[in-house]
Amino acid sequence: MTVALSLNGVSVRFNGSRILDSVDMEIDRGEWLGIIGPNGAGKTTLLRAITGAVGFEGSIAIDGIKTSGMKRRDLARSVALVPQHPVLPPGMRVVDYVLLGRTPHVRAVTGPSLHDLDVVATILDALSLSEFMDRDVTTLSGGELQRVVVARALAQESPILLLDEPTTALDIGKQQDVLELVDRLRRERTLTVVSAMHDLTIAAQFPDRLVMLAGGVVVAEGDGRTVLDPELIRSYYSASVKILDDGAGGIVVVPLRSQEPMSDSKN
Amino acid sequence: MTGEEIRPSRLHWWWLVGALVALLGAGLLAILLGAVDLDARSVLLSVLDRVPFVDVDSGLNDRQEAILWELRMPRVALGGIVGAMLAVAGGSYQGSFRNPLADPYLLGAAAGAGLGATIAFVYGGVLPSGPIDTLPLLAFVGGVGGVAVTYAIGYSAKAGRTPVTLILAGVAVAAFLTAVQTYLQQRNAETLREVYGWILGRLSTVGWGEVWLVLPYVVVSTIVILFGARRLDVLSVGDDEAVTLGVDPSRVRLVMVLAATLGTAAVVAVSGLIGFVGIIIPHAVRIVFGSSYRVVLPLSVVFGATFLILADLLARTVAAPAEIPIGVVTAFFGAPFFAIVLRSSRGLGS
Repeated sequence: MTVALSLNGVSVRFNGSRILDSVDMEIDRGEWLGIIGPNGAGKTTLLRAITGAVGFEGSIAIDGIKTSGMKRRDLARSVALVPQHPVLPPGMRVVDYVLLGRTPHVRAVTGPSLHDLDVVATILDALSLSEFMDRDVTTLSGGELQRVVVARALAQESPILLLDEPTTALDIGKQQDVLELVDRLRRERTLTVVSAMHDLTIAAQFPDRLVMLAGGVVVAEGDGRTVLDPELIRSYYSASVKILDDGAGGIVVVPLRSQEPMSDSKN
Repeated sequence: MTGEEIRPSRLHWWWLVGALVALLGAGLLAILLGAVDLDARSVLLSVLDRVPFVDVDSGLNDRQEAILWELRMPRVALGGIVGAMLAVAGGSYQGSFRNPLADPYLLGAAAGAGLGATIAFVYGGVLPSGPIDTLPLLAFVGGVGGVAVTYAIGYSAKAGRTPVTLILAGVAVAAFLTAVQTYLQQRNAETLREVYGWILGRLSTVGWGEVWLVLPYVVVSTIVILFGARRLDVLSVGDDEAVTLGVDPSRVRLVMVLAATLGTAAVVAVSGLIGFVGIIIPHAVRIVFGSSYRVVLPLSVVFGATFLILADLLARTVAAPAEIPIGVVTAFFGAPFFAIVLRSSRGLGS
């Protein structure tokens, strides 16, 4: 296995406080790494550091080349991000939005080539978005929108795909659709995937490996069974959970109520 | 599906041709109508007569020839240039700041130019004169200077170089410069009328000199802005996402604002502060033709020129022989027109 993405002592500070504190990580080509951790753990900041949207100490390297020395354009050809809260320009059509993903490949003067349009057409097909092509992005439902944003990231044809909590606003069926889609594309296109994840059961099911961040520090790393430990979750999430077998070799994380419900009898 | 089957937004040639026909029509109308009406055939022949190696008799007498070539033509040309520049600069500002209310005067260009012009009116007599008149020179320097100070403050802000920081810095700079300008104006009440007239905008005292003075700035600024259209489309998904698409938002904003400011300051120097064009033209184009800046910016150039030529025609004919300030016309006729476009649109945010 070759290392696609490596982080070495990566720290990020905002106004003196450390959001990330010397994070080390290596992700193999074609691997799916899930990043979990409580709110404010630094998951989003970690993804932003990889895309170059936020300054950092330490080094991040793609295929051994440090991102700090790369041009923005070249970095965008290597790493694509599906943001948690994408900004939707009113009046922009789906096809134009997905075509924005070609930006790092398109010359500003000449505009997109037929090849760029072919790439977009193929992706719209693959994600069953052809019928939405002319729709205004602000009129899409949550599930449609998430596919459109993934489509834009795929249009970058970057070997590394970052997903920032890609399923937060979706119902349980759409969550599975989007993650199965990511997994299928990962296999078809040998993508390296790094996703920040909220839902621990889903985190146990999809990624190959998990990293738990808390307070900007890596506190646990390994497969689902190792990282999703009731004691770890209690100490970093302040949550009581039970880990159950799903009957198919996987695990599920079930939240437990730590005390009996309050009685309603006073009403 | 293949690339040939998808239709990304683009500027259709027939839109551009239609817009250019409208511009030509407006220009011709503005050349023919006025205190002395000229007939179209004679004007056409007179134009032909100026073509090298062509010699025809236009039938116009010397006075009519002078009105055509020394009054009407330069005025229409200047109106078109100013309108085109203000409209495309407005679109550039709106895209750079992702703010529909942004106009070319947003970052202190208007306040700075106003102060420069007021200084020229008040101290014009005692200032040394150079190759360029004091008024356009100081208005230009003031406009560019206002935006430069805004940028310096916005960039040094601890909160970071966000668009909002820049806009707020612009508010502070504009307020300060306007305070100085108002003070100067009040202390020198005899210039009040001139200053007020300049602030409302006018195309009246023009010959070809003003046209040649501003044309290079406008051409360069417009070309830079048009080439940046694709970048503005990328910026519409926000600074953070623009970075992940390989675009440096601060640099795009700097280039677009710089180009828009240079062009705006140049036209303001000769025409005063003509309002409203930079807001309504890009928005009207957006509502009718679509929101991509690759459509909005080129069409804003043409429709901005058309709009201001027609506004100036009204300004000098409605109350003839008196002239209404063109800024009054752009707002008086532009606002209801814009309201109609707005009403019949599906809405910007939906």
